[in-house]
Amino acid sequence: MEKIEITLNINDKPCEVRVFPNDTLLEVLRDELDLTGSKESCGEGVCGSCTVHMDEKPVRACLTLAMEATGTRIKTVEGLANGDDLSDLQQSFIDHGAVQCGFCTPGMLMSADALLNENPKPDEKTVRMALAGNICRCTGYAKIVEAVGHAGNPQDHCPDCKTKE
Amino acid sequence: MSDYTIIGKRMPRVDSRAKVMGKAKFTADLKLPGMLVGKIKRSPYAHARILNIDTSKAEALPGVKAVVTGKDTEGVKWGVFAYTRDQQFIQIEKVRYIGDEVAGVAAVDKETALKALDLIEVTYEELPAVFDPMEAMASETDLIHEDFPNNINIHVNIDTGNVDENFAKAHYIREDTYVAPEESYFQAEPYAVVARFDHEDCLEVWMPNGGPHMKSKPLSNAFKIPLHKVKVRKIAIGGAFGGRSEICPVDYICALLAKKTKRPVRIQFTREENTIGTRQGHAMITTHKTGVDKKGRVLARETTCYMDGGAYSSTGPIATSVPFLSMEQAYRMESVRYNGYRIYTNKPIRGMIRTHGRGFACGLDTQLDMIADHLGIDPVEMRLRNSRQPGEYTSTKSYVDSCAMDETIHKAVEKSGFKKKWGKLPPYHGIGIGTNSVQTGFPMGIRGGSQSFIKFNEDGEATVMSGVVDNGQGNDNMLIQIAAEELGLLPEDIHLVSADTETTSSDPGSYSQVSTFVGGHAVKIAAQNCREKLFKVASKVLKVEPDKLAAKNRLIFIKDDPEKSIPIRKVVRISLLNFNSVNAEGGYWPRVDMKREWVKNPYGQMCEAFSFGTTIVEVKVDPDTGQVKVLEATAAQDVGYALNPLVLEGQFEGSIAMGGQGGMLTEYHEWKDGRCINPTMLDYKLPLACDMPPKINNIIVESVDPKGPYGAKEAGMSIAMSAAQGYSAAVSNAIGVYMDSFPLTPDKILAAIKKKNHK
Repeated sequence: MEKIEITLNINDKPCEVRVFPNDTLLEVLRDELDLTGSKESCGEGVCGSCTVHMDEKPVRACLTLAMEATGTRIKTVEGLANGDDLSDLQQSFIDHGAVQCGFCTPGMLMSADALLNENPKPDEKTVRMALAGNICRCTGYAKIVEAVGHAGNPQDHCPDCKTKE
Repeated sequence: MSDYTIIGKRMPRVDSRAKVMGKAKFTADLKLPGMLVGKIKRSPYAHARILNIDTSKAEALPGVKAVVTGKDTEGVKWGVFAYTRDQQFIQIEKVRYIGDEVAGVAAVDKETALKALDLIEVTYEELPAVFDPMEAMASETDLIHEDFPNNINIHVNIDTGNVDENFAKAHYIREDTYVAPEESYFQAEPYAVVARFDHEDCLEVWMPNGGPHMKSKPLSNAFKIPLHKVKVRKIAIGGAFGGRSEICPVDYICALLAKKTKRPVRIQFTREENTIGTRQGHAMITTHKTGVDKKGRVLARETTCYMDGGAYSSTGPIATSVPFLSMEQAYRMESVRYNGYRIYTNKPIRGMIRTHGRGFACGLDTQLDMIADHLGIDPVEMRLRNSRQPGEYTSTKSYVDSCAMDETIHKAVEKSGFKKKWGKLPPYHGIGIGTNSVQTGFPMGIRGGSQSFIKFNEDGEATVMSGVVDNGQGNDNMLIQIAAEELGLLPEDIHLVSADTETTSSDPGSYSQVSTFVGGHAVKIAAQNCREKLFKVASKVLKVEPDKLAAKNRLIFIKDDPEKSIPIRKVVRISLLNFNSVNAEGGYWPRVDMKREWVKNPYGQMCEAFSFGTTIVEVKVDPDTGQVKVLEATAAQDVGYALNPLVLEGQFEGSIAMGGQGGMLTEYHEWKDGRCINPTMLDYKLPLACDMPPKINNIIVESVDPKGPYGAKEAGMSIAMSAAQGYSAAVSNAIGVYMDSFPLTPDKILAAIKKKNHK
């Protein structure tokens, strides 16, 4: 098998990489481009740790071939912040204690970000369903669900929402 | 309210920023120059003699840099205790489970390494295998380990005396047996190791661990090199839950490959390997016989438990004891006899897990509910009549100082509306209560204490060094909160160097919920010693005695006249110009009974403090499908003192998920001839966001332990245990059948309903 040169658009930057036709997007992100924020936990599309956006839709990078990603816009967890400025969602995860070991966090953020782009004020049930493809073993999800629901949407009753100055 | 500035506050964790940006590095994210890929050759047989291993074809494959087998090792066996050293890191004579390590390969890439594994030719002679602990115990031939007759790895016997006499006096006696199969940790991060030997022939190694010093000592033994030559490095860790405390054979194999190739090597487990090749929870068969007086107070109890230990000892003596210890801490018993047997089988190795002994604990609480039912007492009253009280001794003679067990029961009962709901809910709608207790530490000999160093930099910021590891529970933040509070600095002024065996002193690790109580305590003492030095210098400038000073917000000031102050940064500079050190150390050793030993002498002070927890759960069961819907869970724990309620709530909620939702409803392993048939996330059912109860009530109870740092004990573990009990009690209550086989999967629930309706 021979490597093929392709160009991927990742976090709004063109990236030229040489890949095998059977390389997954996750392998290319992690091994070729050193974007190790996307994690491999199950390797079979169950856990959601490798979730990235392909044209704004969340996809499993472990089940997506790198070749399939050509001609699309890929966004990874490294592309959520604007430089050092965190997105509302990232900040909300920190403020609400939604991060414990942090291994599922990148995938969780990407699923949640895709939800909020479509529905900025989702109710709790919608959040739980949108995150149903992301497994977290530490938190019991309560703080994650809260962080997503309150992201950019601070609640007066919540002790962990930082009201905007 | 307390006077603390940083302690007790809802402080977001310091490690979260790197994690939400995808910048935190876990072991599999590491790349070192020249790094090779390592893979493990595992046994396809559950029990077999190794006749020959031929590695020549694998070694000849282009791209293969090294192959190692048992012949390359120093032959050192691993076991947590001297009397349990039964495991070679690479097997030479026999394999004892499907997945046992027989060889390791390092190659230029994954494909080459996998191809090389196939080229290693191992000739086996299959031996009879045994997968059931009761059958294993009956067997006198074909032992799994020759030195252990009847395949009994560990037998723990505890007897407080008067058990038979008290049974004779009892008003009512019940004897029931409860079973639960194996469960697994399913940490988000699959196990991984990176190892290299540096220019001074020191082994440098990264891996998820429950205590770096618990990894460095066995590695130093295995390589026969001094301890200072083993540098276990800090790295982000994707969960442990008790499963990453010990050395794992792959730690050694990875290092051996690095030694042989003189290059860095990385081994990354597949999800299946993480389930099979690390540790699992024990399957247990537990019989509780309980005798009570007319009021339901336990006069005598006899418990016998058979644990399926798998192929090797692991933490055997501890694992055989802990389910009993949790029970004897939570409940008073006038007399008790315990026989715990850990039995070898040809299955993967079993270790400690967060809800260790779920069937044991749920069985005990189910039986209490049955006795209460017989006596016409409600489950809450039954627990209050038997609950642990402060100032008492446990059955094995541990003094219990702080204890707010009753308060956790009362508060959980009130919040959940238990009294209003008990006995009044419609059919298939139930409520249940569970109570439990866990230790903060075990007697661990010379590794039982923790020591910390603090150095001030000339800009007035401080570096804190501690052996405590963060598996994801928030220990790094805990240490920083404590140091900042004591030094009068802000959390961002503290730089933490931790979980690194080169720079930090010995520490027991996150083993047995001990990080805050021991490791946090050591940092607190080191910081106080450091502050004392600064106060001595500041007192000369401010012209008052040091005891009149306090520190807060980067300032040292006079307590009665806070306007008079001096920046800490300035005090550091004055100290240095006047030849005064601004560094300090501190250590904490819990006063436990060093003569207490798991098998030989299971009596005496176990640890200095115990946490106590109550979980109440309300469920609805669908009688057509057997599906359980959890409406609400209420968790109340005596944590001693809440150092950070935000972090603590996260521990409670995670405990409900793992102990209750997963542990009691969906999680278990299935087997065929010793092969685990659901080792992956696709087949093993972990709780999802949409499965969890919509409401979890967290209730923090503070008994302020006299010995814990700020009075703190531990956070969340007695919720994980009591959640399992609360879930099982609620389901039993909903269907009107006391369940004895866990977890409570729909098939078992439907069978129970059917059987009941046929009566």
